[in-house]
Amino acid sequence: MEEEEEEARALLPGGSDEAGRDSRATPAASGALQALCDPSRLAHRLVVLFLMCLLGFGSYFCYDNPAALQIQVKRDMQVNTTRFMLLYAWYSWPNVVLCFFGGFLIDRVFGIRWGTIIFSCFVCIGQVVFALGGIFNAFWLMELGRFVFGIGGESLAVAQNTYAVSWFKGKELNLVFGLQLSMARIGSTVNMNLMGWLYSKVEASLGSAGHTTLGVTLMIGGITCILSLVCALALAYLDQRAERILHKEQGKTGEVIKLTDVKDFSLPLWLIFIICVCYYVAIFPFIGLGKVFFTEKFGFSSQAASAINSIVYVISAPMSPVFGLLVDKTGKNIIWVLCAVVTTLASHIMLAFTLWNPWIAMCLLGLSYSLLACALWPMVAFVVPEHQLGTAYGFMQSIQNLGLAVISIIAGMILDTRGYLFLEVFFIACVSLSLLAVVLLYVVNHAQGGNLNYSAKKREEMKLSHEE
Amino acid sequence: MSGCEKPSRGWGYCAPSPVLLLSLLTAAPLGLLGEETRQVSLKVISNWPDFSQNLLHIQAVGTNSTLHYVWSSLGPPAALLVATNTPNSTLSVNWSLLLSSDPDGGLMVLPKESIQFSSALVFTRLFEFDSTNMSDAASRPPGKSYPPYSLANFSWNNITDSLDPATLSATFRGHPGHDPTGAFANGSLTFRVQAFSTSGRPVQPPRLLHSADTCQLEVALAGVSPRGNRSLFGLEVATLGPGPGCPSMQELHSIDDEYAPAVFQLDQLLWGSLPSGFMQWRPVAFSQKQGSRESAMPCQSSPLYPNLAYLLPQSPVVRAFFKTQNNFCAFNLTFGASTGPGYWDQHYLSWSMLLGVGTPPVDALSPLILGIMAVALGAPALMLLAGGLFLLLGHKRYSEYQSIN
Repeated sequence: MEEEEEEARALLPGGSDEAGRDSRATPAASGALQALCDPSRLAHRLVVLFLMCLLGFGSYFCYDNPAALQIQVKRDMQVNTTRFMLLYAWYSWPNVVLCFFGGFLIDRVFGIRWGTIIFSCFVCIGQVVFALGGIFNAFWLMELGRFVFGIGGESLAVAQNTYAVSWFKGKELNLVFGLQLSMARIGSTVNMNLMGWLYSKVEASLGSAGHTTLGVTLMIGGITCILSLVCALALAYLDQRAERILHKEQGKTGEVIKLTDVKDFSLPLWLIFIICVCYYVAIFPFIGLGKVFFTEKFGFSSQAASAINSIVYVISAPMSPVFGLLVDKTGKNIIWVLCAVVTTLASHIMLAFTLWNPWIAMCLLGLSYSLLACALWPMVAFVVPEHQLGTAYGFMQSIQNLGLAVISIIAGMILDTRGYLFLEVFFIACVSLSLLAVVLLYVVNHAQGGNLNYSAKKREEMKLSHEE
Repeated sequence: MSGCEKPSRGWGYCAPSPVLLLSLLTAAPLGLLGEETRQVSLKVISNWPDFSQNLLHIQAVGTNSTLHYVWSSLGPPAALLVATNTPNSTLSVNWSLLLSSDPDGGLMVLPKESIQFSSALVFTRLFEFDSTNMSDAASRPPGKSYPPYSLANFSWNNITDSLDPATLSATFRGHPGHDPTGAFANGSLTFRVQAFSTSGRPVQPPRLLHSADTCQLEVALAGVSPRGNRSLFGLEVATLGPGPGCPSMQELHSIDDEYAPAVFQLDQLLWGSLPSGFMQWRPVAFSQKQGSRESAMPCQSSPLYPNLAYLLPQSPVVRAFFKTQNNFCAFNLTFGASTGPGYWDQHYLSWSMLLGVGTPPVDALSPLILGIMAVALGAPALMLLAGGLFLLLGHKRYSEYQSIN
């Protein structure tokens, strides 16, 4: 998901300068309302921050709708797990290509304001089509809806980040990225815990379960996407107003994507790609299929299974800034990545081979997932020159989506034919591959005298000695 | 069973222990006294010239023991299980006694002193429940009950036609003798019995692991018109208890669902402390002939309750062998839940169980999983070791270098 890149994106050039602030004469009577309406004041920027966070809420809320309603979707649409996982695969397919073009579309074609509105529209329309697929009992329509949703979803995250850089460049940027990430996680968590309950309420009022009930539930969930669209419109208006008042430029992603740069990628970078793909394919498809796992193996009720499925996101919301701080202060990124991957491996082994309370394993999974995001994504910026950063991140996102699309389907197939133990062993194999890549990365980095595992102090020293 | 408390009357819960994992890795289905293979013969014993009354006699001869299974459709479908400690025991049937009002002595296994274990299983009734408006899947009874079908009043086919020596199986097919509503006009209740000469695992779900000391029963309901829109079916099973008490029922939870996807539980009925007879099944039934995860429905079993013999339909075969013993214990199985796959999908339902003597077979992790885990954990470990060595040696070389300035 896009939001992991925040810290690295801070290194990208671009964005606004707030030079207009000092030259503008502030009004004598600065009431709260005027502070709110003044784009150079903190109060106004907090309003904008609030809207920016809400912008991504709908997209993250609706992304995991299938996971929250897995049993209902499979029962009402009469599909097996393989076809169910296609709902996730279709979300990822457009993003294999769009990751390269998101920045380009925002910078050169639409502009940030129109780009955000257009992507929000895609998200809304996608969710509506998805819900209509349920109402009309057409699974192909649901898949189409997820495809359209996918076109908008990931690109909306790019737009969200661009707005953040445009309004908050400077020392508040990391905090803003952290808040956006937390909001995204809150959206996912609310989805996990709410949709099952919402379905039962709709079922009670409509009188029976069935594809219509499913469609209506998804349509109600789509209200959050309308909310995102409203935020996009409001942000566009406020951004245009700020441009007029403060004479600041429209935000740009500043990404330059040159696909030919791919041949220049170094071995450590390819190893980072492998770590990323192999790790995330053991997380997101697992969460997608997790609810029934907890119900069947551990005998949890539907509500408890939803709660435990969402714990990864719940933990990641507060812990991401904490781990971000930790990795910033200590450096040694590879060691942290190693810790995260080993912890995830232990967590999957616990879930597969023991009947211990799964809360333990899932909490560990949440912690390691947050840690990895904070330690892995910034490493790309250390091994790639700045002019290739856009391409590197675009490529990383692209293959991550490709991996998710393919592995989602494979996971569904494995589950239908071989059961949960085999699926967990498959995920363990993926994490193990990631672990191999981490170890190899450490060795290669050490042999090449690379800077990936420098402590923060060493990095400061190197920076200062370079400046001398 | 490793990790279990002593089986006691009624429900028992087996908590997993570290030993469980070990047993999953090493367990192989051991038969009674360790018989790996047996010579199995199937024989239909009929009362010549009246071929409508017949018994299926399965004799599984090992080096030191013989197992006799007698499956009968006289009265309610019943299975007699006798284990002897000699390879030379025989079954003797006296039809005139068997069909009389006092069948005591009509069925005997000789020599009598060689009998190590004997018990019986009787399928007495087929229930049907209306599950509409039932949101609680685990409630008992699972809905309003229609009048049950008494299996003692069913008429059965001539099993000689359905005997298959290649697969060591035979099928009993029955329908009510008196069927006013015509529910069984296009359908039937079948009991498919299959014996095994060695251990293995069938391809058909739920893929119960069998040994030479077990035989498998598959109960299938096909084509019968249900009396409601969302009918759940149930079966009442009566067992002859060991002594005054009832056999113990156990639920085994395990981590392994390789052979029955999403089913992590194995139910067992043990007649006593080992070696004795057992029944084993997975709490799942299938609503399609192919049986897959999409058609899997839960199967609930009620606790065993002692039942007075005269309340249950009597099987002449059981009375013939066990004389005046009448300490029956019965339990109910219910197939399906109000939502999800059910009999209503294709008017088909099947459930399988194992009946045997000795130690119940335990599933072990398949070699594929063990192989993948070995590689998944071994390769990074080796890599770490190799990388560590490489760095250590690299360090040594660098430390020997002395810089000029």
